[in-house]
Amino acid sequence: MKTRILGFVGLAAVIGAAVFGLVVVPADLNQGDAQRIMYPHVASAWLGELSFGVTALAGIGYLWRRDLRLDAIAHAAAEVGVLFTAFAIWGGMMWGRPVWGVYWQWEDPRLATTALLLALGIGYLLLRRLSDDPARRATRAAVVGIIAALDIPIIHFSVIWWRGLHQTPTFGDPSKLLNPSAPGLFVIALMGMLAAFTIVWCYLMIRRYQLARIEWQIEEHGRLGRISAARRAAALNAVVQETSE
Amino acid sequence: MTDVGFVIAGYAVILGGAALYAIALGRRLRAARETSMKIRRDAEAAGPPDRTA
Amino acid sequence: MSVLRRGAATALAIARKDALSELRGRQASGSTLFFAALVLLLFGFALGPDSRRLTEAAPGLLWLAIVFGGLLTVARLHQLEVEDGAMEQLALYPVDRRAIYAGKALAGAVAMLALGAVLLPVVAILYAIPIGSAWLPLITTVALGAVGFAAVGTAYAGLTVRMRAREVMLPLLMLPIVAPLLLAAVKATTVALNGDPFGELGAWLQLLAAFDIVMLVAGAGTYGFLLED
Repeated sequence: MKTRILGFVGLAAVIGAAVFGLVVVPADLNQGDAQRIMYPHVASAWLGELSFGVTALAGIGYLWRRDLRLDAIAHAAAEVGVLFTAFAIWGGMMWGRPVWGVYWQWEDPRLATTALLLALGIGYLLLRRLSDDPARRATRAAVVGIIAALDIPIIHFSVIWWRGLHQTPTFGDPSKLLNPSAPGLFVIALMGMLAAFTIVWCYLMIRRYQLARIEWQIEEHGRLGRISAARRAAALNAVVQETSE
Repeated sequence: MTDVGFVIAGYAVILGGAALYAIALGRRLRAARETSMKIRRDAEAAGPPDRTA
Repeated sequence: MSVLRRGAATALAIARKDALSELRGRQASGSTLFFAALVLLLFGFALGPDSRRLTEAAPGLLWLAIVFGGLLTVARLHQLEVEDGAMEQLALYPVDRRAIYAGKALAGAVAMLALGAVLLPVVAILYAIPIGSAWLPLITTVALGAVGFAAVGTAYAGLTVRMRAREVMLPLLMLPIVAPLLLAAVKATTVALNGDPFGELGAWLQLLAAFDIVMLVAGAGTYGFLLED
């Protein structure tokens, strides 16, 4: 019940932040209306990164404590993280096309990093899907989550250095292109969208975690059912053998 | 597409996508809860586990 | 300190065992080498016939070939064990998991270093690269790249070797992780071949080394958990 309220609060907050960003804030002096995409784009990116951080930490927790609830948290965070990271890339593309003229280019380090983040997240989810035994699945997922998280800072630095001497003026640093005509409103819009998205994130995390727990219970039941069915079949077999001798 | 078109596309997919995911989660959760209830009911109806051999 | 020495001895023993089975089953490692060279050849058909374009792309193509060969190498080093049921025995053996990991990673790194060393002259010929005085930084780059790839590859190979669809899972998990390694190695190779006019080589080699250290620590820390299951 409390979760449902959280959901509605999140919905209202997002709608409010969207209206603010689309209509209330004046257009950027340099980027025009395209700049408005920044609000959901940055919020999505930030929450995607937060999600994968949660996945990694929950994975460490699982390896330490072997509590499958931590694994459920990791799973939920990974799925929600892939969602928000995909949003971030979409937002980046929708921003890039009007501002840069292209949907994608390799010189923006954040775009490249976010693409790798998405690939890592999808890989994590596929790994989980191909493992049946819950303990093995949780262990494998935890290892992959941890190694991926450790890789992120390395990716970050390598992509930034990559651009290095290569800075073309067309694809310069997005934050330098900004020229808000009302800096205060711009900050409020950004923070507001971030807060709204965070509420939605919390709601989605709770629901996805609940789903993970129930799905695990169903899975366990299925496993136990197969084991006891196998045992009954074996016992029945033994009886048949005895009576036929 | 004008700039505004891209902005709309951006917001629509992101906000719409989040909404769709929330709805899908709600459906998956309801289905899972029903299955879980059914399992519990079947278990209670079946009584204590029978011991064969 | 005898614990450390025992661990090192175990690691070396495992590395030697893997190296020997590599050399004895010569078809497998030879095939991987040939496959990587074939990839380089095929790139010529994909991006050619303009020699200049190929020469420019050569560092990237070299490292793609090393990565593809590397995937096969680390996978193979674990498949040997699983096929013989030796994985379970290895898990039961009362020795530090990190030593087992170190041994396997060492074997993988050496195999990949050999792969890279053989591919360098192939690239030099196919894409008209004058290696000349750059051979030392090139071999260093190959060595650092090999260690990094083997470090994470050993862990991921151990993870995927008993999974469904393992042939696709290993590359699927590996490729995003090694993207920075690929990036840095190609940059270092390019810079080394150009004579390093801006003195960038050190930075890229340091990035490779950082990747190596992080992945070795992560792999050693998590490999034990993977063996237990």
